[in-house]
Amino acid sequence: MITAYLKRAYSSFAAHVFDVPPRLLAFLLFVLHLVLPVAKPDPFIQLTVFDIFFLAAFAASWDLLVGRSGQISLGHALFFGIGGYTTGILSVNLGLAPWITIPLAVLVGVSASLLIGLPCSRVKGPYLALVTMALPLILVQLFKLDLLLPITGGEAGVGILLPIIPSAFFRMLGFGSRDAIRAVALATYYFALFLVFAASVILYKIANSKTGMVFVSILDDELASKACGINVTRYKLMALAISSLFAALIGAIRGHFATIVSPGRFLDLTVSFAPVMVAFLGGIGTIYGPLIGAYIYYTLDRFVLQKMTQIPFLAFTDWEHVRFLIFAVIVIVLVIKWPRGIARFVTDKLHDLEEARDLDERGKWIWKTYKKRKKKE
Amino acid sequence: MHLLEVNNLTKRFGGLIAVNNVSFNINEGEIVGIIGPNGAGKTTLFNLISGFLKPTSGTVKFKDENITGLAPHKIVNKGIARTFQVVRPFRHLPVIANVMISMKSPRGARKIEWLKTHERKALDLLEDVGLSELMLEPAENVGHGDLKRLEMARALATEPDLLMLDEPFGGLNPLETDFLTKSILRMHLDEPSRGIVIVEHKLYALMKIAQRVVVLHQGEKIADGKPEEIAKNKRVIEVYMGKEM
Amino acid sequence: MIENILINGAILGGLYALLAFGFTLIYGVSGVVNLAHGAFFMIGAFIFSALGPFLLSILGPLGVTSTVIPLLALILAAIFVGIAGSIVYRLTIHPILGDEVAIMVVTISVALIIQQLVLIGFGFSAPVTPFVSGSIKIIGVSVTYMKILAFVLSLGLFVGLWAFINYSKIGAAMRAVSQDHEVAMLMGVNTETLYMLTMAISTAFATLAGVFFTSALLAGQAVPHMWLEPLWASFAIVVLGGLGSIKGTLVGAFIIAYVEHLVAAVFVSQGGVIVRAIPIATMVLILLVRPKGLFGKRIEME
Repeated sequence: MITAYLKRAYSSFAAHVFDVPPRLLAFLLFVLHLVLPVAKPDPFIQLTVFDIFFLAAFAASWDLLVGRSGQISLGHALFFGIGGYTTGILSVNLGLAPWITIPLAVLVGVSASLLIGLPCSRVKGPYLALVTMALPLILVQLFKLDLLLPITGGEAGVGILLPIIPSAFFRMLGFGSRDAIRAVALATYYFALFLVFAASVILYKIANSKTGMVFVSILDDELASKACGINVTRYKLMALAISSLFAALIGAIRGHFATIVSPGRFLDLTVSFAPVMVAFLGGIGTIYGPLIGAYIYYTLDRFVLQKMTQIPFLAFTDWEHVRFLIFAVIVIVLVIKWPRGIARFVTDKLHDLEEARDLDERGKWIWKTYKKRKKKE
Repeated sequence: MHLLEVNNLTKRFGGLIAVNNVSFNINEGEIVGIIGPNGAGKTTLFNLISGFLKPTSGTVKFKDENITGLAPHKIVNKGIARTFQVVRPFRHLPVIANVMISMKSPRGARKIEWLKTHERKALDLLEDVGLSELMLEPAENVGHGDLKRLEMARALATEPDLLMLDEPFGGLNPLETDFLTKSILRMHLDEPSRGIVIVEHKLYALMKIAQRVVVLHQGEKIADGKPEEIAKNKRVIEVYMGKEM
Repeated sequence: MIENILINGAILGGLYALLAFGFTLIYGVSGVVNLAHGAFFMIGAFIFSALGPFLLSILGPLGVTSTVIPLLALILAAIFVGIAGSIVYRLTIHPILGDEVAIMVVTISVALIIQQLVLIGFGFSAPVTPFVSGSIKIIGVSVTYMKILAFVLSLGLFVGLWAFINYSKIGAAMRAVSQDHEVAMLMGVNTETLYMLTMAISTAFATLAGVFFTSALLAGQAVPHMWLEPLWASFAIVVLGGLGSIKGTLVGAFIIAYVEHLVAAVFVSQGGVIVRAIPIATMVLILLVRPKGLFGKRIEME
């Protein structure tokens, strides 16, 4: 009896705290993406979903750091860019294969995060945010130095990176050249799909392990965590390292797919701002929220805001600027009015249903008192 | 051998001497109360022992090992746990996770086993302090009196040899005070070798459980003895009631 | 060479002090890390550049001389940005006061919004011409009158604000709130109004610094992207001097300014890039060596 009760208690505790999206939902989402290119072979949608994947995984890595451990990075483009540039420089200048350069890129990204984290995580405050925000832009300046220009390409960037999935491979299998291109596009899509789901699941597992619990405790109260015997500095560095590992990995792979790694798309402030935006849209601290956020972002962007340019009154030349401005405003409104994001809102509702149905007698009692307390407040 | 030895501990903040040349010992299995009026340096002393502040001079020895100036988490792992005067729960975590955070995870043990045994342990601890019914509640929804006990359960979860409670009775009503007193005494019976230090200025509750009382005044130790002796000590009465008496 | 560093470093230091004062003020009083500080610096310069011709077209026919107009525009721009700053504070920062992550995200968003607004409204650059022309030689270094004016005004304003904080009633309230805002509230200080006022002063000072910078140092051109570097510089200065220390801000400003000029003199060819990295490098160094800064009180436990 007691073991059954404990099991129940643990699963409901996990559900309660960590906002586990119902597994079924995650699985359905995966299957949906799996069949999407077959069901709707529209290259535009396929490419958009591809972008969404990368943004979602990148933002999930940011979310683990900020939403769970409470350390603020406002320049996650730094790790993303380091990933992209390392693999790019190695690939272009030394001609190394992607399966060598990508792990190296991840290594460089993690080392950079530790170098930055060591001074910044000793003290509480906005230090990490400012340092990470500044470094990508300083890197861009450095890349423009005469000394580094031949390697980094300055404003134009590094190119052309070797493809991860070469079309020669498909031609070898006997595809015609046109078919090979389509096969590459499809393979790329599935590669990205598996990558993003794997990355999200791993990040999610980390966030919900005991280590993830410790991250939350640091977010809540650093001093009390110390009193619980937790080496706060080590865990903060760990969060930063894990986050930068995924950011660098995603940056490196993105670099290979983009074929050119340029400051504008890898180190710009807008690149740093994207995960912030997406995480707040989806729900900060959820890890899976960014996927929802990325969908909202791209839907708004591709299907609402871009359509608006066709309205004569709005069709002025500065549309790019207006778009960015609108998203910045949305972020502010979300942070102030709806800080838990849209994903949290949905899962809260789902939990309400699930909990009421699922819990045994004692669970129901707990749930009742919980509701009563909520009402009293 | 003493469990804890504090020798000539001094802490200065600029010109202010918060703790001045304080020495005392704590033996195994002893419940010691530290009392003193507000500003006597009780909490500072606590912070010095638990590593949250570094002393200006003096040493702290725990089980004959010098732990002066070690990082707080290292001191916790040596076996000294503390609570805070103002409750500091992890708001986003449920009550049971608050306790589980403090537990040491054994290296090499399988994770599922760890979760099982530790859940049970955490539940037992919550049962002891009377919080098991709230275990799934996020700590932000739990009342103040319950949080006080949660704080204690969390400290106990580190399996300390010395437990230091900073004003555990602060802000509690008589009923809650009574309950807490009982659970401290029961805890003492369960683990008789564990030393307990309680900082308090509510004398009544303390006198009932402490076996020995150390009195601080303006950063200095002015008395050290059995509760009955302390109650008769002229200097202590002077400090508490004012010089006119 | 040395004279050059001495004089130009001093001028830059004075401007930095003015810039960082606003940043440290709002941080000290309300605990807000205002990442939009640089953006107010930038938009201030743009508004000034727009106000100049506008005032000239209105007041010119009335016979107001063209030497008065820049000063008038400067004051009006500062007031305008100050009011805008306090409104922005009330709308965006006040509702989330105390939540560090949220404040940083919101203030960086505000900064980006300001940047986009400027891009849309003013385009890619605007001229901010010096109010006075001509130059003088001081120990062999040619210094424009504008630089001297900016330096003198900056230090004057710095001292003025310092006196205001130390000797006025509102200043006393500010100091009280920075010590303990709950107690101050109990004593009858309206913290909301006080925070708004502080934000207004802070942003107004950012505007003044922005105008002085662009007209005296940055070749008279304001660009929408010039908000990041002032932000890092002010943050580095505040960290170097010690959070919440006004004396530290002044000393930190001059140290950073001199280091920048020294480095620029040493690495003549590639100086620009390295100079940009100095504030951040200084900050990291300070964090490693002395996290409480030069004049900071003991670093807070929590």
